[in-house]
Amino acid sequence: MKIEINDLRFIYPTGLEALQGISLIIESGEQVAIVGQNGAGKTTLVRHFNGLLQPTAGSILIGDWDTKITSVAKLASRVGYVFQNPDEQLFSKDVGTEVKFGPRNLGYSKDKTDELVKRALTLTELSDKTETNPYDLSPTWRKMVALASVISMDTPIVIFDEPTTGQDALSIARIAHVIAELRREGKTVVTITHDIDFCAENFERVIALSEGRILLDGVAANIFGQEEVLAQTFVDPPQLTRLGKKLGFKETVRNQEEFLNILRK
Amino acid sequence: MHERLSFFVKRDSALHPLNPLTKIVLALGIILVSIFSPWYWTSHVLLLVVIVPLVFIGKVATEYFTSALRLILPAAGFIFFMQAFFQPIGQTVIFNFWFLDITQESLLFAFRIATRITVMISAFTLFLLTTHPSELMSDLTRRGLPPQFAYVIISTLQILPQMQAKAQTIIAAQRSRGLDTESTFFKRIGSVVPLVSPLVFGSLVEVEERAIAIEARGFTSKKAKTSLYEISDRSSDKFIRWGLVIFVIISIVLKLWLS
Repeated sequence: MKIEINDLRFIYPTGLEALQGISLIIESGEQVAIVGQNGAGKTTLVRHFNGLLQPTAGSILIGDWDTKITSVAKLASRVGYVFQNPDEQLFSKDVGTEVKFGPRNLGYSKDKTDELVKRALTLTELSDKTETNPYDLSPTWRKMVALASVISMDTPIVIFDEPTTGQDALSIARIAHVIAELRREGKTVVTITHDIDFCAENFERVIALSEGRILLDGVAANIFGQEEVLAQTFVDPPQLTRLGKKLGFKETVRNQEEFLNILRK
Repeated sequence: MHERLSFFVKRDSALHPLNPLTKIVLALGIILVSIFSPWYWTSHVLLLVVIVPLVFIGKVATEYFTSALRLILPAAGFIFFMQAFFQPIGQTVIFNFWFLDITQESLLFAFRIATRITVMISAFTLFLLTTHPSELMSDLTRRGLPPQFAYVIISTLQILPQMQAKAQTIIAAQRSRGLDTESTFFKRIGSVVPLVSPLVFGSLVEVEERAIAIEARGFTSKKAKTSLYEISDRSSDKFIRWGLVIFVIISIVLKLWLS
């Protein structure tokens, strides 16, 4: 599903102008990473996608729905949003019930709900933990429960807010797998991240925000090549990109594969 | 954006650098004098000649008058009407409504009580507007207040706004999962558990983490602790404090002597 943002402006009640005119189109099935320093407006921007925040000026279209006239509860059927801290949303006594909460709110049939829950649990490797209380799990696994509880809603658009913060390598690989699977299903994925290596390995398109404006928007390789511009929003290109540059590679490399390919030549 | 739950406004005034204890003694002194003084006009004089000028000296006039409107008017107004209607004193009926009589005496009494309430709230508002809670607590701890007590007060002031922010995030997270918090009454009742449980669990975890964090810095250590902030306590502070104590004693003596 397509996301269309027209000259979006947002001013917090405190007077802080968090978004200063953002125009953006995210096509159906695109995988987009949003990067930028703290306070650049990343979270403020994505919270407009499901109507949690209402624009001060400008508009956002989710498919054919205008977020200004659509309720958050209704938008939840199109936009899934995984919050940063799983502890701010988990409340059920076991993982299974927790994951069922979203699809049940959306009013899916029992069969469809069960199927979606099963799929989400398999995808997040939680199938053997359905009976466990989420608070008995480690924070890494709680994050997976939060992920599963949004994926089970089967929304055409999924937003991840800092999915890799505090996660170990294994868990990051699991999250990458989930995102790859969502891509295969043709879903639109928007991820806020500070983890630039994760971004380089999993996303084609990168948007860099700075002080409420779009600083850069394009194919990851192009974005990472512009080290000086990225520095304005305190983002370092991925380690391999920097190493490649130091080694005098002509092309900008993003991940191991590209790096090794050039070395082999 | 996390605000502290306090009235304190940072200004560069003659009142702000006073020792916190001096300011609390000032507030209490004003209140005690207004209670013990044998003359009904003392409260009015205190309000107009002491509190209002101090509000301007402390450069907190705007804040004082806005909070006065919000807090003092309803409180004092309520007490005025209750006393005027239900105080069974006096014979001179001025106004009669159903079985309620308003007499001249009850009206005067109500006016005095309402003024006294105004003085009390004003004195404390003035104190809260010019004193940072942490400053007050570290000063009182230095003077022997148990640090546990200070911690309870300060952490409450800090935790409440944090919990408020946390509650906002939880509401946002659950609404994103399709929780309907805006429609019918019954749907709203159903949404209590998903909203409240993460808040309660989260807060319990946080309390434990806080306890560990402060213990890691030697909170219960018996040794004398140093303070990051030097809180001034000049001889003028002591002078003001003793002066206020004398005023309170005078008003008590006058009260006993004249009655």
